[in-house]
Amino acid sequence: MTREQALFMGLLQGATELFPVSSLGHSVIIPTLLHWRFKQSDPTFVPFLVLLHLGTAGALLVLYRQQWIAIIRGFFTAAVRGRITTEPERLAMLLLTGTIPAGILGVFLENRIKSLFASPYVAAGFLVVNGFLLLGFELLRRRAERRASLDSRTRAEQEEGFAAAERISFRAAAVIGACQALAFLPGISRSGVTIGGGLLAGLRHQEAARFSFLLATPVILAAGLVEVPQLFATGVPIGEYVAAALLSGIAAYASARFLLRYFRSGRLDPYGWYCIAAGAVSLVLLTFRA
Amino acid sequence: MRDRLAVFLVILAVAFAVIAGLYYEGVLQIAVSDTHAAHHTTHAILFGVLAVVSLIAANFAREKTV
Repeated sequence: MTREQALFMGLLQGATELFPVSSLGHSVIIPTLLHWRFKQSDPTFVPFLVLLHLGTAGALLVLYRQQWIAIIRGFFTAAVRGRITTEPERLAMLLLTGTIPAGILGVFLENRIKSLFASPYVAAGFLVVNGFLLLGFELLRRRAERRASLDSRTRAEQEEGFAAAERISFRAAAVIGACQALAFLPGISRSGVTIGGGLLAGLRHQEAARFSFLLATPVILAAGLVEVPQLFATGVPIGEYVAAALLSGIAAYASARFLLRYFRSGRLDPYGWYCIAAGAVSLVLLTFRA
Repeated sequence: MRDRLAVFLVILAVAFAVIAGLYYEGVLQIAVSDTHAAHHTTHAILFGVLAVVSLIAANFAREKTV
């Protein structure tokens, strides 16, 4: 992998990790379409991915630094006391509940699923599926708005009719956490399914995105930290990889800020249509390229 | 009833801790990608975390004397 390719992949991963458009899908499809020949079996490729993910997790930690301090404090207080009394304590336990199924499924299934489906054709196909999923989430959300007689209100008023992340049920947090396993399929977006799950659980769009980003941080961080020893393997161009990770972090920070602002009144539909179009175009290009 | 659940969760925590130790020592080889590895650190960490979570759940489940 050249330096330019490494930096491009850093930017791509950081930008697409938090948008509901599947970073894994994009990082499988785009290098293939650009005829890049780097091998994902190369021993230096895993450390590269590790650093990119640590860049993204770092960006999320910086973005939510105040909340994470309150969440960590709340976690220890509630764990020792054996009772939840404040909102940060509840959020800490909700995030723990959501992270456990993702961790179990990740450890036991991730490598098997990724190796089974690591083909650009499959990724493009699942990108189309991801698009329909996002549109489906919004369809169900609009029904919920109609049931609550919110459909004739402004978008801001409609969003006010739904809840903050701390109000979600523990069962819903566990289901949303387990849904993250769908993102082991290249083309299915982790943030897409978790934001969608949050919408189905009755959260505001912005709160669903916040819950999704908070839920992602420990999973991405843990996955990265477990692989840290690989960074010390010989032949790893650490300088280039760190630069790509920084770029990934900056892109992730910018995209998180953008999405949180966008979801004050925005919906998942544009990303759904984008995924359908990008997946379909990729399938055509991949077919004619072969 | 709540105390029974708490005791069950403590037993579960011990079981998870034992499984974590067995994975770390390479004795358990269930659902691992490399069956020749000396340590299965990821699996060991997962079960270690599950042990801690079970203890926290036990603390939530026990009868409180307030």
